[in-house]
Amino acid sequence: MNNADILVGTNLFKRFDNLEVVKNVSLRIKKGEFVSLVGKSGCGKTTLLSLLSGLEQPTGGKVVLNDKEITSASEEELALFRRAHIGFIFQSFNLIPTLSAWENVALPLFPIKMASDQRHKRAVELLEQMEMGHRIEHLPAALSGGEKQRVAIARALANHPEIVFADEPTGNLDSATGAAIMIILNELHKKQGMTMLMVTHAEELAETADRVIRMKDGEVIA
Amino acid sequence: MNLHYVMKELYYQRRRTIVSVLGLSIGVALFLILNALSLAYREAARAPLTEIGADITVQRAGNVPEELAGAVFPCSALTIRREEVNKIEKIPGIRGVGQAVLIWVFDPQRAWIVLGVERDNPIGPAILRSFVTEGRFLDDGKSEALIERGYARQFGIKLGDNVSVAGRQFPVVGLVDASRAPKIAVANLYLPLKEAQDIAASSKPLQSVSPFAPGDVNLLFLKVDQQQITAAAAAMKSILGEKATIATPESFLKLLGSLFALSDKFTMAASLIAMLIAILIAFKTMAGNISERTREIGVLKAVGWTHRNVTMQLLTESIIQCFAAGILGILIAVIVTFGLSFMTVNIPIPWEMSPTPHFLPGGGEQLYKTLRLPVHIPLKLAVFALLLSVLIGGLTGALLSSHISKIKPSEVLRHE
Repeated sequence: MNNADILVGTNLFKRFDNLEVVKNVSLRIKKGEFVSLVGKSGCGKTTLLSLLSGLEQPTGGKVVLNDKEITSASEEELALFRRAHIGFIFQSFNLIPTLSAWENVALPLFPIKMASDQRHKRAVELLEQMEMGHRIEHLPAALSGGEKQRVAIARALANHPEIVFADEPTGNLDSATGAAIMIILNELHKKQGMTMLMVTHAEELAETADRVIRMKDGEVIA
Repeated sequence: MNLHYVMKELYYQRRRTIVSVLGLSIGVALFLILNALSLAYREAARAPLTEIGADITVQRAGNVPEELAGAVFPCSALTIRREEVNKIEKIPGIRGVGQAVLIWVFDPQRAWIVLGVERDNPIGPAILRSFVTEGRFLDDGKSEALIERGYARQFGIKLGDNVSVAGRQFPVVGLVDASRAPKIAVANLYLPLKEAQDIAASSKPLQSVSPFAPGDVNLLFLKVDQQQITAAAAAMKSILGEKATIATPESFLKLLGSLFALSDKFTMAASLIAMLIAILIAFKTMAGNISERTREIGVLKAVGWTHRNVTMQLLTESIIQCFAAGILGILIAVIVTFGLSFMTVNIPIPWEMSPTPHFLPGGGEQLYKTLRLPVHIPLKLAVFALLLSVLIGGLTGALLSSHISKIKPSEVLRHE
């Protein structure tokens, strides 16, 4: 593994029953790189993201993330690893409906021993960074789609991750709001040097990344 | 575990929380009410004996003389010999013995129900001293009598009058209010035990069917260790024979005829069924809650919550709900039992325990001990119910946690 590589996937396979969804995929992502994974629906890109982020165990192959081989780690170790090193942004935002915006942002910090005012301070800082300082006490139901995704991005950053995985981050947004979210993600990458792997089916969004990996039928084609 | 998150979840999902808490609280309340009722009937069943200072009364049934004249024993209370009393006193668990002699006296002018009492024994009819409404109680060593107030009024007997009973004269020194007095061994005339024994011993008709020596009696009142009542009753039966009539709280409980009174197994089964139904309601609601929150649990795991973190969170939710249900259940039970405590219960006193000749006024009437049902929730039972609720919460949470472990964080992405 090159020192500059933060994520290396080698000969990855994933099979669900008789269906092989990911077929012998190998890839490397450098620290500070913004990579997009593009392909049609059902080509296996979200499954590959799950394998690379430790949400799912591969049927074959291995993943090394931040110098740790995560394919042999237990569920418990993976959870702790995700808490320490990874941020997630989901297409459907996946905010907890009963928690306010700041509480959703602080969600990864709840299991950590930390003063509650520190937790609140960190969440508010991130929400202000996302221009959501005026909505910190609002519940997800009171937020627009774009606002929800801003909260979700703030949550992904709460634990100071080394890499952020984004799965169709604009998939549930209109084009204008989606564009605004992409600006935020690009700024995070450019200004803060955040490493990002973004799954999308939209070519125009994929092109905004440093590098584009294309998938078809479970295989990387370019 | 984040308590703030727990409370918010319970508040925002309040319909689910209310269903779960109400379901279990009704179960807890039923458990407490049924057990409190059972305890109340048991306590009530002790009342006729308690008010005469005893746990058990003992008599022996037999024949009466063909002709009712002079002093005779009722058929339900024949002689218990001194030696038999001595043996009974030695039965394990017996803490005290009270003795009495109950005689029917048929004088030419009137009939008397006479009870000879031990003046200074707190076990047995000497408890009557509290119900003397005029005059005084019997003095030590004096040959004198107390008369039941209603009987005295009926026959115009006053304090200071001399009454003639079986050919003996007794000055009346006090009047007793029998309506407030114990319902067991009710009499018209109360004498010192020795005087009653002398009347019995000198009565030929009585001796002809039930030989009686001056030291003998025909009623025993016993204080017994609560745990040994059944065993002591059996031992007495073996001493006195098959014709012995032994009244215990258990025998009064049977007379009450209530389902709660008849069987503590029924109460236990009914309350456990109620609790079980409540547990199932709580479990179903909480299980539904978990399956509705699969995605949420997946998110928690994705952002770095361990299985233990998630389990503790849901376990705390479950325990808080069950604790609240326990408190609410206790409150409901206290309110319901307060209402039930206004119910009165009539405990029938068998004729044999307070025999009155049928041809005398009131002789055919059934005697009852009437009292308010002493229903209340014992503190220990309430604490037990609360602990049980919390335990249910813990077990429910623990059972559901096995389901939680099956939820993978990748579920979140799979549902996108």
